[in-house]
Amino acid sequence: MEGSAEHGETSKAPLSKGISKGVSILDVILRFVAIIGTLASAIAMGTTNQTLPFFTQFIRFKAQYSDLPTLTFFVVANSIVCAYLILSLPLSIVHVIRSRAKYSRLILIFFDAVMLALVAAGASAAAAIVYLAHKGNARANWLAICQQFDSFCERISGSLIGSFAAMVVLVLLIFLSAIALARR
Amino acid sequence: MSDTIFVGEHGKAAASSYDHGAGHKASSSDVPFLLRSGGGGGLRRCLGLIDLVLRVAAFAPTLAAAISIGTSDERLSIFTNYFQFRARFDDFPAFSFFIVANAIAAGYMVLSLPFSAASSKATAVKLLLLICDTVMMGLVTAAASAAAAMVYVAHEGNLRANWVPICLQFHGFCQRTSGAVIASFLAVFVLMILIVMAACTMRRS
Repeated sequence: MEGSAEHGETSKAPLSKGISKGVSILDVILRFVAIIGTLASAIAMGTTNQTLPFFTQFIRFKAQYSDLPTLTFFVVANSIVCAYLILSLPLSIVHVIRSRAKYSRLILIFFDAVMLALVAAGASAAAAIVYLAHKGNARANWLAICQQFDSFCERISGSLIGSFAAMVVLVLLIFLSAIALARR
Repeated sequence: MSDTIFVGEHGKAAASSYDHGAGHKASSSDVPFLLRSGGGGGLRRCLGLIDLVLRVAAFAPTLAAAISIGTSDERLSIFTNYFQFRARFDDFPAFSFFIVANAIAAGYMVLSLPFSAASSKATAVKLLLLICDTVMMGLVTAAASAAAAMVYVAHEGNLRANWVPICLQFHGFCQRTSGAVIASFLAVFVLMILIVMAACTMRRS
């Protein structure tokens, strides 16, 4: 089966198989990176809790991620993407061993695209809220809460980095899967 | 000579969608466009047509959303000491980013229309189109969800941070921005279908 289809390429077969294996191994490594990114973001955002030592009549003195529904969505989206990536890790490890898989790569591309949309949505919605928390809005009279809650703000700003990195990694993963499909 | 080789390979049923020499020579002008050439060439043309239609279908919502928010400007007839009485997209950086991103996506959709009819042999062009589609989908999703976060805060406010929901005053502005966000998410959905279809077509060739 394999020899008859490659009768014109026997001299290049080891190199092309090596490239396919390299692409699949890179896929696994990038999935690990994305898992770490999303997990770190979800944990960093989920463990925010800052209580101010003073209080005034106008501003509450405790800040948590659950006070802003957008940040809750961020934690949920990152958790879902992290769980998906962990579940898809065995599939991409199988792709390293068996490079001839066709339909599973297509399914992987489909779910990667869905998860890309999810993590992009979560990360950028949280980024919009973090920007609002830092700068406020003069027109709408929305105060910048970061002036009081500085450690809370640092935490939520830092947790965006892992999520955006995971977004870039997901784009690369889709690209790698497409390369692997096109090389067949 | 190349005909015999391809006819021989057709008999092996290795892949059902070879469309090279034998397919093109067999097509005649009286066969309908979608049913021409053997082996699944008709299906590929159908997919190419669907790809074109979907690209136009993704261009329309992004353009409409960008224009709709770009022309949003509402002045209230009342004014108080605390509220400014005018709302425009300029006042919210998320909406400015939304307009820019949707304009870029709409421009990309128009520019990629001729490339979407690429032949099955040009895998480099297809790969480039796929990666650009993916990047555009990420961009439009980011813009749409940032604007959605702003619209949500404008609708509901936030008790903890003392952010007043401005939609209670600015009805028209809020309606326009909500509609534009929905249109943008529609474009994201269409882009997702485009990516999966491009991956499917790549699998066939």
